[in-house]
Amino acid sequence: MNLVESFKSALQSVRANKMRSFLTMLGIIIGISSVITIVSIGQGGKEAITGEFQDIGTNIINVQVKAMDTSIETRDYFTLKDAELLKEKIPGVEWVAPSAEGRGYIKSDKDSKFAMVMAVNEHFEELMHLELLEGRFINQRDIQNAKQVTVIDDISAKAIFGTTEIIGEKVKVSNQSKDIYATVVGVCKNVNGGMAAMFGDNMPGNAFVPITIREKVLSNHQISEMSVTLTDMTHSQEIADKMIRLLEKSHRNEDKYAASEGFTQLDTINSVLNIFTMVISAIAGISLIVGGIGVMNIMLVSVTERTREIGTRKALGAQNRDIMLQFLTESLIICLIGGIIGMTLGVSLGLVVGKMINIPLDVSPLVILASFGFSSAVGIFFGLYPAQKAAKLDPIEALRYE
Amino acid sequence: MIIQIENLKKVYDTGKIQVEALKGVSLGIEEKEYVAVMGASGSGKSTLMNILGCLDRLTEGKYILDEEDVSVLSGNSLAAIRNKKIGFVFQSFNLLPRLSALGNVELPMIYAGVPGSERIKRAKAALERVGLGDRMHHKPNEMSGGQKQRVAIARALVNDPAILLADEPTGNLDTRSSEEIMEIFESLNDEGATIIMVTHEQDIAMHTKRAVVFRDGSIISDKPIEKRKIRRGEIQA
Ligand SMILES: Nc1ncnc2c1ncn2[C@@H]1O[C@H](COP(=O)(O)OP(=O)(O)O)[C@@H](O)[C@H]1O
Ligand SMILES: [Mg+2]
Repeated sequence: MNLVESFKSALQSVRANKMRSFLTMLGIIIGISSVITIVSIGQGGKEAITGEFQDIGTNIINVQVKAMDTSIETRDYFTLKDAELLKEKIPGVEWVAPSAEGRGYIKSDKDSKFAMVMAVNEHFEELMHLELLEGRFINQRDIQNAKQVTVIDDISAKAIFGTTEIIGEKVKVSNQSKDIYATVVGVCKNVNGGMAAMFGDNMPGNAFVPITIREKVLSNHQISEMSVTLTDMTHSQEIADKMIRLLEKSHRNEDKYAASEGFTQLDTINSVLNIFTMVISAIAGISLIVGGIGVMNIMLVSVTERTREIGTRKALGAQNRDIMLQFLTESLIICLIGGIIGMTLGVSLGLVVGKMINIPLDVSPLVILASFGFSSAVGIFFGLYPAQKAAKLDPIEALRYE
Repeated sequence: MIIQIENLKKVYDTGKIQVEALKGVSLGIEEKEYVAVMGASGSGKSTLMNILGCLDRLTEGKYILDEEDVSVLSGNSLAAIRNKKIGFVFQSFNLLPRLSALGNVELPMIYAGVPGSERIKRAKAALERVGLGDRMHHKPNEMSGGQKQRVAIARALVNDPAILLADEPTGNLDTRSSEEIMEIFESLNDEGATIIMVTHEQDIAMHTKRAVVFRDGSIISDKPIEKRKIRRGEIQA
């Protein structure tokens, strides 16, 4: 008996017991559909988050002064010279964006807004992918001449002036004991983007000032972080090492700096998502096993019910492997049909849930292939014992079975 | 000689007791013979048929089928022999309920690896041969007992076996259906089929050409049947 024949015969038997076959499939359906839903949503979520981070850019290395280290002294902090040094001495460095920041306020005579005050250079606009709504960003001349100018975000502009058209207005930018008057030269979207809309007024504003006036604006004006962009990420590790060595040499210290590639938060989010996916997959795996046991149970019942049929088939010349194949294909088909239904259900469910939590679904062909693979494996694994039992039946005893 | 058995013994080992169902039976059957196996219930007729049909194994002795010693063969080789050389007709028909008449007749050919189109052609021919050309797509539960047994005969014939074995083929049938089956067997035998049939009915045995009578696992009589000349009761031991 060949495979086509046994498939035909198996389909016939599945069709003959529709309700029973369906109930048997249920475990497989639940298992497969939950795997597909969860994995697809997890994958989609991961991609959405990664995509958002990719917008910001990943060819970035952040060089930091180890903040946890209490032995850090003033002379260990970065200087603007360091920034120039990195750019000049290390090949592959595109530009360097040093920054210093503190919490503070943007004030006019009318109103004030809580804000992050950041002393930056002209590259910060590109680094943060800032979207300018009015005017311009801090430029090289502002920095060279240490001009008292500022770029503030739209939320603060609206909160204080009721409009973003405020180029030329003077505001007071303050941090703890320090404050200066600065002319607004530009208005950009809040750096927290979409999230800012959710938090509304509670979202801190942004005030950017030239890095060269940081001492006037920030109480703690040390530069503890520099973002460095590379032309090419392939040798990022080596370049990061080189940068740290160069900085250590110029500051005559050791072990005070750390470099991290891209965005460590992304890794954290991804690993959380991975764990989540893994846990759910494990649960789904268990449900597949339970489903498989259900399949085995029904196949055993089926073998008993059809003992005479098996006897007859053997009397007509069926070899042990023919009987084996017949029952194995039957459990395989039950599981495969369950797998297909589960897959359809899983994708649909994923689409619905994805829509609800606003995550684009990513159904990878691998997942579909894997669910076919898994359901087939369950079918074969749990069908093996009943099929073997059927194949081993003695023809005479099987024929005599009442 | 198509069948040759020598000193055949069959012991059923039920654990507590051992039942000697055949106690050293020797029998030879030529091609194109039509033999009735008779005897009281429990005399060992079915046991013999099952061994002849390669469904069961003998305990002692020798069984040569079509010049091959089958007493030494493995389970799967026996399956192949059942498939090619033996056609079995059971008292209780043993049709597969989910399959149509055609599907049932196709079965032995499926196991013989006959391709689909030829299978259908041959199955149709076999069903027409037993007068069921108009019932091919009926399921067993849509047919009478006689029709079911005719499907079973078509199924037994379809691989062109060396012998046709029938264990009380009319045991579940009324007289009319039984006569129909006997007509088919007779014409098959006329065409050259070797048939061995178990029956305990005189009338049925009258259709055959030779009667082998069993009692308690041994042959007590083996005589040709001369139709018309034999009066009722004469072939009974
Ligand atoms: N599977 C078996 N286990 C034990 N004893 C059996 C078995 N099959 C048949 N027998 C015994 O063997 C003897 C012959 O049985 P059988 O060949 O079926 O007789 P018949 O077909 O002539 O009525 C009987 O005594 C019966 O009880
Ligand atoms: Mg019997």
